[in-house]
Amino acid sequence: MAMTKQEKLDQKAEKLYEKKHKQKYRRTPSDWTFDILNHAFFLIFTIMCIFPFYYIFINTISNNDLVRKGAINFLPQGIHLKNYVAMFNVNDVGTALLVTVGRTVLGTVLMVIASAFVGYLVTKQEMWGRKIWYRCLVITMYFNAGLIPWYLNMSMLGLTNNFWAYIIPGVVAPYNIILVKTYIESIPGELEESAKIDGASYMTIFRKLIWPLSKPILATIAIFGAVGNWNSFTDSLILMPDAPALHTLQHKLYTYLNAASNLKSVMNSGAGTISGAAATNVLNAKTIKYTISMVTVLPILMVYPFMQRYFEKGIMLGAVKG
Amino acid sequence: MNKEKIADKLYIVFRILCIAALIVLFVPAFNPARISDLVPKTSSVFTCGTSYGTLTQNFLRAFNRGWVGTLTMQMVFGGCLCMIIGFVATAAGGCMSLGTNKLKKLGALPSVIGAAVALAGCLMINWAANDIQGTPNPDRVVPLKPAMLSLYIAISVLILVLSVVIFLLLPKVKKEEKCHMETKYQLFLLFLPFLALCMVFSYLPLLGWRYAFFDYKSGETLTMSNFVGLKWFGFLFQNEATRADLVRVLRNTLAMSGLGLATSWCSMAFAIFLCEIKNLKFRRLVQTFTTIPNFISWVLVYAVAFAIFSTDGFVSSLLINAGVLENGTNFLMDNSHMWIKMLAWGMWKGLGWNAIIYIAAISGIDQQLYEAASIDGAGRFQKMWNITVPSLIPTFMVLLLMAIAGILSNGMDQYLVFETPYNTNTITVLDLYVYKLGINGGRVPLATVVGMFKSVVSVALLFGANKISKTIRGESII
Repeated sequence: MAMTKQEKLDQKAEKLYEKKHKQKYRRTPSDWTFDILNHAFFLIFTIMCIFPFYYIFINTISNNDLVRKGAINFLPQGIHLKNYVAMFNVNDVGTALLVTVGRTVLGTVLMVIASAFVGYLVTKQEMWGRKIWYRCLVITMYFNAGLIPWYLNMSMLGLTNNFWAYIIPGVVAPYNIILVKTYIESIPGELEESAKIDGASYMTIFRKLIWPLSKPILATIAIFGAVGNWNSFTDSLILMPDAPALHTLQHKLYTYLNAASNLKSVMNSGAGTISGAAATNVLNAKTIKYTISMVTVLPILMVYPFMQRYFEKGIMLGAVKG
Repeated sequence: MNKEKIADKLYIVFRILCIAALIVLFVPAFNPARISDLVPKTSSVFTCGTSYGTLTQNFLRAFNRGWVGTLTMQMVFGGCLCMIIGFVATAAGGCMSLGTNKLKKLGALPSVIGAAVALAGCLMINWAANDIQGTPNPDRVVPLKPAMLSLYIAISVLILVLSVVIFLLLPKVKKEEKCHMETKYQLFLLFLPFLALCMVFSYLPLLGWRYAFFDYKSGETLTMSNFVGLKWFGFLFQNEATRADLVRVLRNTLAMSGLGLATSWCSMAFAIFLCEIKNLKFRRLVQTFTTIPNFISWVLVYAVAFAIFSTDGFVSSLLINAGVLENGTNFLMDNSHMWIKMLAWGMWKGLGWNAIIYIAAISGIDQQLYEAASIDGAGRFQKMWNITVPSLIPTFMVLLLMAIAGILSNGMDQYLVFETPYNTNTITVLDLYVYKLGINGGRVPLATVVGMFKSVVSVALLFGANKISKTIRGESII
């Protein structure tokens, strides 16, 4: 909350400054043209960024026949939500959603706990061989063996066609560990000292002191971790060739965008569920693709505005190095 | 006193053995559970002991026809499980050996028990191996001699003997003694599981580089008979087809990275111009909406592209309505100017996000500079060019150097999703090439060689960029 207060103060100061500034400042004609062009550019770019999502959305809730004809361009017509209902009745989309939610929740939670704990441990100077082990962690950010050795390693460990392949490799995330470590180092050492004098063990200090104090940074890495998990697609593509039930939502979307054969089976199963309700309003290839896209993107669109603060904090932290 | 020194030396051997025991559990080449050719070649003791399904995935017919008894395979499974549990116990003993005398003495207990359990596991597998020799259909089952079993027996026996010897060498526990471990070892042991994970997923893959020296086809094992030395390294450059591929792929990679570098000033310009907008609400709105595309995956970007540019997408239907087109056109199938299009999608996705760091840097510029410039009669653009831009150059340089270091790694997601049979020649970048060669094409050694080159060059570039940064700015970027 302190941050928001600070931000408000900043904004106030900025406004005051601008008021003062404006009085002194007269716009020349070249300023006018620049301002107009500048506003126009940003307006257009913003629309370019947001319109596609709007376009897909109105096409999923409009009358499917109109959609098929390409009549829905700017405003929805004949609004209904049957496409979404049908989508969840299609078996493999439901499973994919479950897998994706599962990996996002479990992967993020484990990653955050591990990052917090390891980040705390590597701040302890007295650990045996601290420097070497910490470097071992950091180097992995810059150097990797490559795709094929990684794949062979995963299959050697039995992590192909296995749900845990989504979770376990992501638990130790060096970059996040560095962020947490840097943050913990900024916490006054006296706090920990006094806890130690009171007889607290490392685990107690971590649980009662470090964890609550480093919540802001943990929230940031949690959000980045969750978005990363939600969006990850290549691991599903490479590691789960024989387990379609474990494909993530992104992978499913990719499959649907590309293959016509899949669409037919969905149309049959999907049409079966809704044909009675509205015979003229049948799912078609286009609406299926759009609906899955929307199901995949909606969580991000809904979470983003509320979490923007954390996202922006994240990129600023990225400038801090271990 | 002397005895303790000997015990300390023996402990070093003991700990190395414990670590080695844990490692061999994960290496398929050392799998004693391969008592038959039907056991998957890529399985390790760990997979065999944790997943009965994987162990027996090829045994369905053998079980049904009675070639192999289920008990035999259950014994193998149990044996592997015993070895895993046993070696984990000995590792726990190894960890306890870092403590005080009493803890060391206590640690002998899990070590001895663990080694005994592992030994029992070895015997179970040995029994199963003998049992399977008597199969009625040796042609199909192909019983194998588990040669690696002796390795496991040797390790277990050594651990067993060592822990007993050390136990005897250590002085007696005094009554007032407590179980304790020095803080530095305590902390290390807390850290150890995470370090192990890092080793397993980031360092263990380096072992895979050995595939570059073998004539390997997926599903086979590496033996000295298919060792080919540096054949693939030469092949990559001597073979006409792969050389042409490589040149093409490198051209695409460098062109697209180069375009990215050449336009990297755009996000700086974006930030500067955005900060010229004085209406805070509008600015906030722009910032929120332009950063969203950064958080959607490339698959979703493709879905967006599909919605806008495909045959029945937004642009097509607009053009049809306007009477420009008769039928919808799939603009995504058009393979002209692929590099520019990829750049455009990259910009669409990343521009707003990349600008944030510059926006933060701009808000950090001392306002007095601007005031002083105004008093000296500087106009708006002069202030932008002479104050804002120079203040952002350090940030820009760091990001540019990082981008140069990553010039070969443009990732494969973007190019994979936008790839069609028509544009594959101009879109395949190094990462995608390795994927298609190794995973889709099954040419593992060749793909490994390309990947090795990429890794080495990337690291060299990173260090080079770091060196430049150090000499110019006196600061390192890594």
